[in-house]
Amino acid sequence: MSVETKKGDEAIAAAAQLAATKRQARMGTLLGLTLVGLLALMWILLAFSTTSFWTYNNISNLLRQGSMTAILAMGETFVIITAGIDLSVGAVVGFTSVIVAWLLTHGFPIWAAILITLAFGFGIGAFHAFGITKMGLPPFIMTLATLTALRGVGLLITNGATISITNTTFTGFSRGDFLGVPNLFWMVVVVAVPAYIFLHQSRFGRYLFAIGSNPEAARLSGVNTTRMIYIAYILSAVCASFVGILLASRIGIGNATQAEGWELQAIASSVIGGTSLFGAVGSVHGPLLGSFILTTINNGANLLNVNAFWQRIITGVLIIVIVYFDGLRARKR
Amino acid sequence: MNQTQQQGGSNQAGAKTSLLVLKKLDKRFGATHALKAVDLDFEAGEVHAIVGENGAGKSTLIKMLTGVHVRSSGEVYWEGKPVALATPHEAINHGINAVHQEVVLCPHLTVAANLFLGDEKVRLGMLQHREMVREAQKILDDIGFKLPASALLSSLTIGQQQLVATARASTRGTRFLIFDEPTGYLTRQEAAQLFALIGRLKAQGVTIVYISHRLEEVFQLADRVSILRDGALVSTQRVAETNEEKLIAGMIARTIEQIHYKETIPFGEEILRTEKLTGKGFEDVSVRVRAGEVIGLYGLIGAGRSEFVLSLFGRSPKTGGQIFWKGKPVDIRKEKDAISMGIALVPESRRDQGLCLNLGVGLNLNLPIYKRLVKGLVINPFAERASADKQIREVQIKTASREAPASSLSGGNQQKIVVGKWLNHGADLYIFDEPTVGVDVGTKVEIYKLFARLLKKGAGIILISSYLPEVYDLSDTLHVFRRGRLVASYDSANVNEKALHETILTQALGV
Repeated sequence: MSVETKKGDEAIAAAAQLAATKRQARMGTLLGLTLVGLLALMWILLAFSTTSFWTYNNISNLLRQGSMTAILAMGETFVIITAGIDLSVGAVVGFTSVIVAWLLTHGFPIWAAILITLAFGFGIGAFHAFGITKMGLPPFIMTLATLTALRGVGLLITNGATISITNTTFTGFSRGDFLGVPNLFWMVVVVAVPAYIFLHQSRFGRYLFAIGSNPEAARLSGVNTTRMIYIAYILSAVCASFVGILLASRIGIGNATQAEGWELQAIASSVIGGTSLFGAVGSVHGPLLGSFILTTINNGANLLNVNAFWQRIITGVLIIVIVYFDGLRARKR
Repeated sequence: MNQTQQQGGSNQAGAKTSLLVLKKLDKRFGATHALKAVDLDFEAGEVHAIVGENGAGKSTLIKMLTGVHVRSSGEVYWEGKPVALATPHEAINHGINAVHQEVVLCPHLTVAANLFLGDEKVRLGMLQHREMVREAQKILDDIGFKLPASALLSSLTIGQQQLVATARASTRGTRFLIFDEPTGYLTRQEAAQLFALIGRLKAQGVTIVYISHRLEEVFQLADRVSILRDGALVSTQRVAETNEEKLIAGMIARTIEQIHYKETIPFGEEILRTEKLTGKGFEDVSVRVRAGEVIGLYGLIGAGRSEFVLSLFGRSPKTGGQIFWKGKPVDIRKEKDAISMGIALVPESRRDQGLCLNLGVGLNLNLPIYKRLVKGLVINPFAERASADKQIREVQIKTASREAPASSLSGGNQQKIVVGKWLNHGADLYIFDEPTVGVDVGTKVEIYKLFARLLKKGAGIILISSYLPEVYDLSDTLHVFRRGRLVASYDSANVNEKALHETILTQALGV
């Protein structure tokens, strides 16, 4: 009889746990929906309170601006999921804008300039991973070092000057659109689709999460943790160099001081999108939403003639509020 | 009714000097009923053991006594007065303290600084380091712990750190001290020091609550023992009036013919042999494992057994000697080499080495085999789910779903995940490093039965355990480690049992 009671209790406990898991799943979707809802709400409010928000020009502009943060944030997310951090992405954007501008002004064809610039990104990411895995430096320190060093290298190359890009095909790309949608936004799609497959549907994605959760357990389960760290930092830096190319195309110059502070935008977007700085929690769609929420705030504040200083404060407050609610959700587990 | 223990000033029946009384204590987490109307009383100056399987509610009970969780219903009386015990602070103010299984102290501070943490000696705003070290040393000497007060905590073994935590908890006006599996990481001498301290505290009138899976300790130390099962109190008995079989029967509501389940399987071909293998933490180790054979590695924590198997697994490559796999010399440089050859490791620490705790049960189970679940570039989601579900069924993991985080499971079920992921992968040699630490009796038997299943399939097993009866009963060949070296080897079938136990112990201790 006691055995039966025990079974009954187990069934109840199991049902309770199942309900809890379902609740978690629902709350996960809820956060996703909250972000979509928040974005939609901001767009609706802005559409009603300003005449200029819901115009083709402004929306295009918003998508162009948000695209760059979005791509940076996706790359950054791979690193954060491993419980690391990449502070260098803003500097990489500035540095690679110089590289691509230099290559174009020295007669390289566009395709070659792009490939070589991306290769630079690859090399920077590999260098980060080398410092972290082989020299044992903390990711924060390693990427903080390249954050300052890369800007220096970029300034040395141009001797502090700005390289103007005269290739109009190159600069025209960022102004153009396809099917009525800005080319830059299409670039988000080009990055996001493979990123989604990589993170959520390939075994490497699973490995990134495992490393973020417990690197030793991952290693003892046969995961090549060193290789995965290399992949994460290389992806982040390649995404950043890709943004460097897009930025050069958009503003028509190469300058190592560009994209100052973008690493913080990328990290904030990622965190708003539900990525945990402790690792092992994150997605591709979260940072995408996060970056467009941040961009909308800036865009809307401009249209509403809000003081630029206030924009920074609003962004800061919003990060605290969103991450606080996300933390509440996580603590309920 | 008529209790034998003498307590000052109590004569009425049922009105002994109970320090803490729990009445119909109840705790629910959502729909989960973790504790069911538990009635317990703790007398001043008694050692009260609490036993039960993992998930029986022992941890929940401790957390409620120490103010971490607040009860759902029921009453708690401290010296006859109702109390809330709503915060850890309140519990400590009453004099309720606990020594947890995991050490929660500051590793970068000295032993003395840890002892005085939060209560430092200050003169004119300056910390009195020397005075604190002197006083800490006196405290340690007084309670009979052989520990240096000026050493950094991180320079001590886990067992010694545990003693520091014990010293800290027992010297702050504590009147009610809870020990949760205190001997798991202790050597024999350290355990003896701890037991002596418990005896002294008891004589001072401190109430001790002692939670352990090791029933022989319960019989050695406790006055009374309470059994919990599925959140309910089964019974409270005087230790003198019960025995091990009765306790186990109460804990699991079924009889276990033989806990150390063992089948004899004829040995097959040699799977692994090491010759004078040397690496970080061990030297000149030569062992051989055949198909169907269990070799046991016995010794103290830190004797080099874990280092030896981690080296076999490619975690830290050997510096000398040779490994032969199925007769051929091999070089194991990485975990991947070991895994692809057919070695599986269930490591010593589930939390630190075995599991990705905040990730799903399914991901943990599939981690070694994702390569096989891939179709082209992407994972086949059906195969991924099927493989996880199959393993959950096969090793009977109690979990809400395959997506539930591993941290939501009980210790025994977590261990089953670590075992399950290697069954999923398959191997010829399974290494189990302390597989039953912190695991309840029921799960233990399941793990032992699993050994038999693996052996029948032609696998070999290396079993590391610091619990002599376990290695002794389960191994075909027993090796004793001391300070990184193999000091003795036995064919366990041939030797007189009782005499050997003593010999093995002395060899492991090196006395």
